[in-house]
Parts: sequence; C-alpha cells; structure tokens
Amino acid sequence: MFWRIKNIIIAIVLAGLMLTEIAGCSNSERTVNKDNESSKPVVISLEGGDWGYPTPFSHYSRGPGVFKMTLIFDSLLERGEKGYIPWLAEKWDISKDGLEYTFTLKENVKWHDGEPMTAEDVKFSFEYFAKHPPVSNDLTVDGKSFIKSVEVVDAKTVHIKVEKPLAIILGKIGNARIIPKHIWEKVDDPRKFNTPEAVIGTGPFVLKDYRKEQGAYKYEAFKDFWGPKPKVDILQFIPVSDSVLAFDKGEIDITGITPDILSKYEGNREYKVMKNPAFWGYRLIFNMEKRAELKDKEIRKAFAYAIDKNELVEKVARKAAVPGSAGYLPVDHIWYNKGVKNYQFNIDKAKALLKGRKMSFNLLIGNSNAEIRIAELLKISLAKAGIEINVKSVDMKTRDAAVKKGNYEIVLTGHGGWGNDADLLRTMYAKEKTSNQSPSADGIPGYSNEQINELCKLQLIEMDPAKRKDIIFKLQELIAEEIPQIPLYNTTGYIVYRPYKYDGWKYMFDHHEVTHNKLSYLDVK
Amino acid sequence: MGKGLLKKASEYLITFFIIITLNFFIPRLMPGDPFTFLSSEEGQITVTYTEEQIDKYKAYYGLDKPLFVQYASYITNLFKGNLGYSIYYNDSVVRIIGKRIPWTVSIVIISIILSCLVGTILGSWSAWHRNGIPDKVIYAVMIPISEIPSFLIGILFLFILAAKQGIFPLSGGISTFAEYNNPAEKAVDIIHHAVLPVLTLSMTRLGEFYLLSRNSMVSVLSKDYIRTAKAKGLNKVRIIFRHALKNAMLPIVTRVFLSLGAIFGGAILVENVFSYPGLGRLMREAVMVRDYVLIQGIFIFMAVMVLTMNLLADILYVKLDPRVS
Amino acid sequence: MEYIKYKRGHSSDIQRGTSCKGVSNNIIKKFSITGKIGITIVFLFLLIGIFSNCISLHPYNVPSGSSLESPSLVHWLGTDDLGIDLWAQICFGARVSIMVGFGTALLAGLGGSLIGIFSGYFGGLTDKVIMRLTDMMIVLPDLPVMIVLGAFFGPSVRNIIIVLALFSWTAPARIVRSKVISVKEEKYVTAAKSYGANFWHLTIRHFLPNILPIVMVSIIQLVSRAIVAEAGLAFLGLGDPTSKSWGLVLNHAINFRGIYFTDYWKWWVVSPIAAITLLVTAMAFIGRDVEKIVNSKI
Repeated sequence: MFWRIKNIIIAIVLAGLMLTEIAGCSNSERTVNKDNESSKPVVISLEGGDWGYPTPFSHYSRGPGVFKMTLIFDSLLERGEKGYIPWLAEKWDISKDGLEYTFTLKENVKWHDGEPMTAEDVKFSFEYFAKHPPVSNDLTVDGKSFIKSVEVVDAKTVHIKVEKPLAIILGKIGNARIIPKHIWEKVDDPRKFNTPEAVIGTGPFVLKDYRKEQGAYKYEAFKDFWGPKPKVDILQFIPVSDSVLAFDKGEIDITGITPDILSKYEGNREYKVMKNPAFWGYRLIFNMEKRAELKDKEIRKAFAYAIDKNELVEKVARKAAVPGSAGYLPVDHIWYNKGVKNYQFNIDKAKALLKGRKMSFNLLIGNSNAEIRIAELLKISLAKAGIEINVKSVDMKTRDAAVKKGNYEIVLTGHGGWGNDADLLRTMYAKEKTSNQSPSADGIPGYSNEQINELCKLQLIEMDPAKRKDIIFKLQELIAEEIPQIPLYNTTGYIVYRPYKYDGWKYMFDHHEVTHNKLSYLDVK
Repeated sequence: MGKGLLKKASEYLITFFIIITLNFFIPRLMPGDPFTFLSSEEGQITVTYTEEQIDKYKAYYGLDKPLFVQYASYITNLFKGNLGYSIYYNDSVVRIIGKRIPWTVSIVIISIILSCLVGTILGSWSAWHRNGIPDKVIYAVMIPISEIPSFLIGILFLFILAAKQGIFPLSGGISTFAEYNNPAEKAVDIIHHAVLPVLTLSMTRLGEFYLLSRNSMVSVLSKDYIRTAKAKGLNKVRIIFRHALKNAMLPIVTRVFLSLGAIFGGAILVENVFSYPGLGRLMREAVMVRDYVLIQGIFIFMAVMVLTMNLLADILYVKLDPRVS
Repeated sequence: MEYIKYKRGHSSDIQRGTSCKGVSNNIIKKFSITGKIGITIVFLFLLIGIFSNCISLHPYNVPSGSSLESPSLVHWLGTDDLGIDLWAQICFGARVSIMVGFGTALLAGLGGSLIGIFSGYFGGLTDKVIMRLTDMMIVLPDLPVMIVLGAFFGPSVRNIIIVLALFSWTAPARIVRSKVISVKEEKYVTAAKSYGANFWHLTIRHFLPNILPIVMVSIIQLVSRAIVAEAGLAFLGLGDPTSKSWGLVLNHAINFRGIYFTDYWKWWVVSPIAAITLLVTAMAFIGRDVEKIVNSKI
C-alpha cells in the first residue's frame, strides 16, 4: 500500500511539473509570435486595477476611473499640451458680456453604434447632468449649476447661456462629457445603468472587455473615429502586483519609477525616461479656529522657516519632487509666479519670530508611508525651533472626515489637481462660503483676509486672460506673504517606457500622468 | 441526538444574528463616510464631490434616514436574500462577491487540503520515528514554518520564484485577455497563477497540522492495540494508515473545519501580496472606501461560511467519535 | 501540597502527583536544546529591548547618517530612507514587539482564564453565554474585524494590544473551562465545597494550581501570535505608525518603491524579518517544550 501511495505522489508531482512546463512553453511561444510579426496591431498594456465601469456615472471617484471613461466619451474641448484645444467643438464664440457661448460642432461625428452625433446630444447631455450629476461634475461652480439654458440652433450649433460671466466657464463646459441622447433618454437610474450600451461614446476607443474582479480592461480603437487616427489598436489594463517588476518582465509598457532605480534605465537606449510635472502635492493646513494663536502671521512664518522642505524632498520623495511654493501654485503650473516669497529653512529666523514662545500642536496625518515619514521629519525640525508636535496617524478616510469637519489643529494632506485652473486659489484661500469642488473643502478654517478675498473675486470675473494672469500673480505673492497654509512639496516622479514599442506619450497642460492623456494614444503631430 | 442538533442549530442562529447586527453597526461607527474624498494616494487623483452631490447620493442610498430605519430595512432585505447595492463599486453586492468567491474559496480549500494531507503524512511519519533524527529535523523545520507570517512567505515566494526566476506569474488569477485553444489550457493557466498563493497559504497551515497529527499519532501509537499490531510484525505503513491514523484522525478533521476562519484571515494578506482577485483584497478596499453595504455582505458571507463549517465539524465529531453517542 | 492530582484521562498515562514548586524548578532542566536556545534568544531580545538606548550608538527616531547607507562599522545594519540607524530601530522595535506580544498574551491569558474559570465553575446560563461568545470570536474571521476595529479605535500600541487581546482570549478560556469542569468533580474539591469553601477559595486553592501550567502554555503561544499579528497589521498599514515596531520598519521597507531593484533590501528588509522570525521561532520552541513538560505531568 505504501508503494501505491508513493507512486501516486510521484505521478502527481510529475504531472504538476509537466503542467507548469507546458504552461511555460506556451507562454514563451506566445511572446515570440508577438515580436516576430511587425505588422501585428499595436497593443499597449498598462497597469490595471478596478476603477469602475467607465460611464460618466459609475466609474469610481478615486484613481484613474475618470480617464478610463474619457477614452470613450469625448468633450467639446480637449486638454492639450499647452491649453484647451478644439475637440468635438470645431470653434466657439463667447459674447462680449460673457453670458453666451456658441459652439460649432465637428461634422461626421459618429457614436460607436453608428448613429450620428448632433447638437441635440449636447443639449441632452447638459440637461441630463443637471438632473443626474455625473461622478466628475464640471458644470457647477461652488456646487451650483451655472448653466441657464442650452439651445440647439441647428444640427451642428449649440447656444449656451450661463448665469454669470466667469473666467473659468469655457474650460468647464469644454470638459463636460457628451453622452448619446438616444440611449440615455430612457435611463432613469444612471448609476445602475451598466449594460454594454452605457459605454457608447464618440471617443477613439471602444470598451471590449471589463473584468471587475480582475481589475482588467480592454479597449479597441474605434474604426470610425472622427478625429486623429488612433496609433494604438488595443489598449489593455492588466493587474500587476508590482509595476516595476511587471514592466521589467514586459507585462506592461510604461511604469512610474523612483530615482533610486533610475540608473537602471537612464542612458540605456532601450528605455526612455520622462519626468512628470509636479501637479501632486502635500500641504499642511492650519486650523485657526481650533488654535487661535495660529492667526498670528509670525507664528505661521516661524513654521515655514522651521520646515526643511529640501530635506523632505530629498529623503521622503527621494528627490523626485520639488519644494512647494509658498504661493501655492507649483513650479510647473502655467501661471506659477517665481517671484513669491521663499522661506529658506532657517531655524534661527523661526526662533526669532517665536520670541521664545514654546508651543505644542497636534498634527493629524494619514497612514501612508510618505506621510508618516514627513511627520517624523517635521517633528524633529520643528522641535529645534521650539514647536512641539504630537503626531496622530489615522486612515485616509478618517483624516478626510476630520478635515471636512475642521476637527484638527494642523493636518497633513496630499492630493492631486495642483495644475488645475488658478481659480483653485479662490476655493482654497478665499473666505466666502465656497464649495468643496476642489480638494480643499472649506478653505482654511478661521482664516480670512480682505485683500485675498477681493483678488479672488476679481480673477473669477476677469475675462481677459492676460489681465487675469496678473491678478493671479499678485494673489500668489500675497498668499506667500500671509502663508495661511504650507505647501510642502510637489511630487514629480519619473516614468519609463520602451520607445521602440510605443513612443507617443504626451502630457496634458494641467495633469501629471501621460497615460491619462487621450492624445497620448492618437496621431496628433 | 436530533434534539441536540436542533438546539445547536438554534444557538448558531443566535450567533449569526448577533454577527449580522455587528456587521451593520461596526462599519457605520467608523469615522468618515463613503462620499468624502479629499485626499488621494501619492500620484493618484480623486474626484471630490460637492456637498449637493453628497446629499443626493446619501438620499439615493438611503443613508440619510435614521440608523434604526436603515437597520430595519437591512434586516428585511437580508431575509429576502438581498444584500444590497455597493456604494463605491456600483454593482449589486451579490454579484460582486459572487465573482470573487470562486477564487478565494478554491485557494482556501486547496490550501487546507494540501496542508492537511502533507502535514498529516509528515506528522505520522515523524511520530513513528519519534525522537529519531528525521523526526527531530522535521520538527525543528516545522516550528519556524508554522510561525512565520503568511505575508512574509508570500513576499519571499513572489520575489524569488516569480520575479527573479520567472517560474510563476507575478500576480492575478488568470492571464488577462489570453486566448485559449481549449478549456484544459485555461485550467492550466489558472492553476499556474494559483500555485504561489496556495503554496503560501498551505505553508502557514502546514506546521499546525503537522504538530497536531504528530501529537495525535504519538498518543495513538502508544496504545495497546498498536503495540499488538507491531508485535505481530505487521507492515509499518499498514499500521500507520490502517490502524493508527483512523483513530488519530478525529482532532485533525475537526481542526480542518475550525481553521477556516483563520485561513480566510490569512487569505486577505496573501491576496494582497499576489493581487489575487479574491474576497480578501475586496474586503480591504471596501473598508478603505467605507462601502458599508459591501463590508456587510463580505462579513455575512464569511460568517455563514465559517459557521457552516463549525456546524459540520460538530456533526462530524459526533459521527466520527465512538465515545460520543 | 498534594492537591495537584489530575483526573485520569482517556490515555493510560500513569497518574502522578507533584508539587507546584517542583514544576517550575524542573522546567528549565527539562528543556531540550532547542528550548534552551529559545530561552536564550528571548532573554537576549528582552535585554536588547530594555537597554535599547544603551546598546545602540544612535537614536532610533532621529537621522544619524545619510539616507540608505549600507551596513558599516558606524551603522551596523545600515540606515533607512530618512537616515535613521536601523540597528537602533531594531533594538527599539524589540521593546515594542515584546510589549505587544507579552502585553497581549498576558491580558488575553489572564482575562481568558478568569472567564474560563467563571464559565466552568458556574455552568448553566453563564457558561452558555460565554461559550456562545467564544464561538462567535472564533467564527469571526479575525483579520477583517481587526481592520474595522483598527480603523475605528485608531492605531496606538495600547489599542493594538487591546484589539489583539480581544481576539485571543477565547483559546485560554476554553482550555481553562474544560480543566475547571474536570477538577470541579474531583473528590477533594467536592469535599472542600461541602465544608463551605466559596468560589474564591476554591479558585485560589484548587483551580489555580491546576490551570497555571496550561495557562502558561497558552500565554507563551499567544506571544508569538500577537507579534506576528502586529506585524501583519503594520503590513496592511493599520499599525501604529509612531510606534516603530518591527512590523512598521518592514512595512516602510517593503513599501519603498522599487526596493527589490536596489540593494537596500539586503539590510532594510532582511533585518526586521530576521528579528521577527528569530523571536517568534524562539517563543515557539519554548512553547513546545513547556507544553511537553506540562503534558508529561498530566
């Protein structure tokens, strides 16, 4: 009997070995085939992960869900490398008073199901979004819809009237997705609408396969796409456990890397390395309602002098970041003012500003590694200036809830969107009760500055970009002088890819991810 | 015995009820809500809802109602078999969990069987050669193995066997979008992906079964009838598997069922290491985004699973143990 | 001191009587080589934990070198990304890990025993309720609940100990309960009871000496489980980030992007793993030996 068992075990082991062998063989054959035939379609694989069914209503609010949806759904304008570019709208016209917008649509635009796209669809989309706000809702300012009416002039002309003349409206209208009327007019509960019809758009890619539990997506180029020809035939997102490992094994075609492994790829012709613009960052918010002494500008300045941003960049971000600008808008922002006050790390200055006062604050942070590291370093350097910091770390959601309720003394938070329209300064610093469209929620608790409020209001209604830019520059200087919160650093990060495989990667003017840019996959100059 | 079972079953029902109640309240007691996203992971982006949007969503999911009203509707829905609609994942909870169950359950079950089989065989062998060199060696190896946490073993495997050697895939449950010529090829692919997670999970349980079966065997082997059998000169293997193991099996079998809860816990870590598309990873995500409905669903599934196994263990115990009648 | 007579079990082991003192005196002598090694290691870690400030040349929380230095005479185990000495962190981490391990084990072991004694002695409804409760704790998959509780209570060493203890008290409670039930039926106990001995008297005079050895075994087993559980929580990002436990050092190291493509893992990942494995294995060896000795007494 023992022998029988032994034989069985041996047989099982052998079978197992054979199976893995077979799998290994078939895998390698597959890859060889792919490399040999150059006429094969261009297949780009990217790091996957489940970010929801890519309709405007059911992708997830976190992560790259938005961008997976924008591959399918076009908007009137698109975000190019320098600024907004014509997209579904060929040209547009803004009335002198800034209250009326007329868009002329491209001709021969087809939905994925073959139906033509018309001005009716645009009107329908805007009205539908007013009733059922999509996950990413562009058509509001401060939480209120600014659209007064949408009229169809003819099949390719739309006339939009808005409530107020605001500088930011064109970008907002331009960014709203256009959805097909003939499909969505029957849908009452868009959040639960997840049939194949729900992902019919006019965009360059068609969703072929979505596996929620795997976090895998497969897109195919849309043959009848109206615009620039897609350079990628199949775009797929596959699950990986470590993106660098996966990139190394050729499973994915682009990955973010840290400077520590930069040397592995730099100077190697097989790879190309790009540095992301610094549109993601950490900042320190003071709660002046909870701790009134923070209303004292000198103390805030003492903080700014006592924090060694360069050390944070060097150690926590491993040099893949730039120190935050005291004027908030980061270096890579199109309207960054490099003349703003710069608080060079200087403990003596901080001490002088504190005038011997000893203070103690609670610092609330999330539980990510970087935040913990930042907090550790802040604690050490602030202690030198005489400010004691007690760190409390909670999970992200708990921290966000505390930020929303103003339930903290000082909080460290990190988020993207630093490259967005400069109006974010208003939502962040101005006091008038605003929305939380931007990640700042309700501005800075307990802080209000007449001059800042005034400039913020001014820039919002200034329709001349050049004049508006001047105001934003002034605003940044003022903010840097006031320092109501401290931007710590903005991450840059490197990405690496194999140019012989695909070399079309481009940045949007306000965003830090090339893979999120629709134009990266299209044949535009 | 029938009456006893009935009583047992009602006890289980009460336990289950308490669990589903806890399931309802614990997630809702956590700070934060499903709609507030102010910050994001490094390099990631997030859409921040406006206050108006949040109110709309709250009303949509019935989260604006008083807690006890929500609780009542949760219970009634539960009895209708309706686990609700996930807030974050935008899909029915049953469907979301249903797609993940096969992955987790299969690696969990295979791991248990594997670790139980190998553990028992090694344990029996060890017990037979008690205090001999092989016993000492296996014993000394098994103890650290049983204590090293699963995620460390997982990371080790991932690094050596997948990353450096490339024998196994790095992650996932199946080659994404691969085209198969026949079902066998697909099966091979799935097995190929499951090897490392299963191996990791089995390793963490192996020591437990080894020690248990060794102890159990040692005590059985010292029994008179075994001594008699030995004296009769019966074949070693025959004694171990025919006579001794049959009697030493009881604690092992019950342990198989009882260790299910722990192994599900281990699966969470392992699935996170290998990006395996199972329930464990989902669970972590669901907690992170405060998807109350989904958290409840997963907890209920796990509780039902483990309770059933415990019940089975109880029944089996009665069936297998000659002393209990 | 002839109280410790054990009820005859199913096994045909010879009934033996021995004194409490005898047990503790003999234990060390009866340890196998592995057990003795285990004791030495745990003792060393204890010393390291207690005197962590003196043993390490550098502070555990302030950078003392540049980032990610490889091991050298100055920094024995190198430095981490902030330039903090790793040997100092391992030393200090020993304190945290041991605190979590023993804290949890003692809390769970003593609490569990007490509950077990109650349950076993009083029986009836108390027993029913307590047994249902232990059922429930065993049924609840521990990790998910810990995630929820961790997120709710917020991470701190104290809370982690409490949460872990909350999930570990059932094992000692069950063992103690069955022991108490069997001891309760012993003639000398029923006799003492008939003379009017109350619960506390019985517990102190009769139950405790009987359950002490088995409680000890389960406490020792709980120690390593708690250390591993803490590391697991830290790995999932749910530990106490300011505690600097081994799990946290490991968490930082593993989450350092691209760690496997650099040389840093050789000291940064390996040292906390080695420390955890060493301590946990040592505890396991001790546990096995103590269990063997206690069992041979029965």
